[in-house]
Amino acid sequence: MSMQSASTRVALATALLLAIGAGSSGAADKYKVPRTSWGDPVIQGFYNNNTDVPFERARELGDKAFYTEQEYAASKQPRPQPPPQRAGGSGGVPNAADVHYDTGEFGLDPDQSEMVKSLATSIITQPANGRLPPLTREAQQRSDAARAAGQARQYDSAQDRPLAERCVLWPHEGPPLRPVGYNSHVQITQSPGYVVFETEMIHDARIIPITDQRPDFGGLTRWQGNSWGHWQGDTLVIETTGINEASTPRGSNVGMGPDAKVVEKITRTGPKTILYEFSVTDPGLWDVSWGGQFPMELTEGPMFEYACHEGNYGIANTLRGAREEEKTKARQGQ
Amino acid sequence: MNNTASMRIRARHFLQAVAMAMCLASASPHVRAHHSFAAEFDVNRPVEFSGKVVKVELINPHSWIHLEVTTKSGGKEVWKVEGGSPNVLFRRGITKNSIPLGSELQVEGFQARDGGNRCVGRTIKFADGRALFFDSTPIPDTPAAASE
Repeated sequence: MSMQSASTRVALATALLLAIGAGSSGAADKYKVPRTSWGDPVIQGFYNNNTDVPFERARELGDKAFYTEQEYAASKQPRPQPPPQRAGGSGGVPNAADVHYDTGEFGLDPDQSEMVKSLATSIITQPANGRLPPLTREAQQRSDAARAAGQARQYDSAQDRPLAERCVLWPHEGPPLRPVGYNSHVQITQSPGYVVFETEMIHDARIIPITDQRPDFGGLTRWQGNSWGHWQGDTLVIETTGINEASTPRGSNVGMGPDAKVVEKITRTGPKTILYEFSVTDPGLWDVSWGGQFPMELTEGPMFEYACHEGNYGIANTLRGAREEEKTKARQGQ
Repeated sequence: MNNTASMRIRARHFLQAVAMAMCLASASPHVRAHHSFAAEFDVNRPVEFSGKVVKVELINPHSWIHLEVTTKSGGKEVWKVEGGSPNVLFRRGITKNSIPLGSELQVEGFQARDGGNRCVGRTIKFADGRALFFDSTPIPDTPAAASE
């Protein structure tokens, strides 16, 4: 193979991968999306969104949205291994990092599951630097105050523990959805007039009415807000407002306000792929909107039940630990 | 580590451990969990023991494996060992039957802050050294089998 032809092939391959990563190529345009019996584009199925693409882009990459294949390979770091020192048997000084099970032993490291490959350098694509915009000054002050108040009472009761620990809602569930690192599956189900969007972890299902106008939700509030959707060609557009303020978005310790809106777009881009796009607007937290995208791939079902509440011994044990620490401090006169 | 009278509980380097824990907590690569293990278990109570499996709970958000342990005095006590979410295991065909009752396991971890017979299983292995589930190595991708 000549140097020129090799270069050409690399360039073509790179362009193709970039196009797949962007989800907006000629190949995607040519794909004829199958229809349900009632005429909607088919997006339902079991999907995997496990990825090694970081949510925010490394600062040093600036506005570079995609790696080349060579850059992608070079960017991969060896998977963190368990701390070398044994818990107490080999003279190493244990630390908080040791107080954990080995995620690799349970197959929970991202590279131990099917990975949806993408050359994107970040999930966030808007703003162009691939990073969350800063909170407004006022929102940052509220966030700092909320963090301080939360830390002061964090072990007082079960209700003071994070939503995820209480098995109420994991932050990655959104909206917007974010890849979580393990148990990275989503099931989308369609029926006439509705789409159900369910995450494996932590088992929440959003039932999304499909309608031309925003329905009257009757004042009903949900942890994940009120979502409704409509079709724009082959793309399902979902708008969500009224997200519970206890569900804080990434980078903030306070929730989104009454003027917040999340828009998600789901487009089938091939026989086994969909593109998930999202944008987030809340003038109470950010001066600008932000958003991003990532591909998801069809995978084998079923999506295993998570049933978080049934086995959540951890929250009681954590509170027991806090009470024990209080007793110790009391004995020590602190 | 032998199969009997094998429990050892150590507390060492207290001040250094606390200082390092405070410094490193936010930098730990092992933070993908449902809750803070450092809040539930005590970094100053490292434990190592072996025991026979008497109960397996592959449940969410975390698995629990119950072991009967022989103490130095010859008594028996049951320890509960906390591990990871089992959903990936199910996907790979692993069930609670993959750890037969009576299996001898070796555990290294940290005991509950309240001194109860619970610990996080930092490593859990069969007595012959085999990994319990996966040997902390990448698993080759399997092709997506779903279709329309």
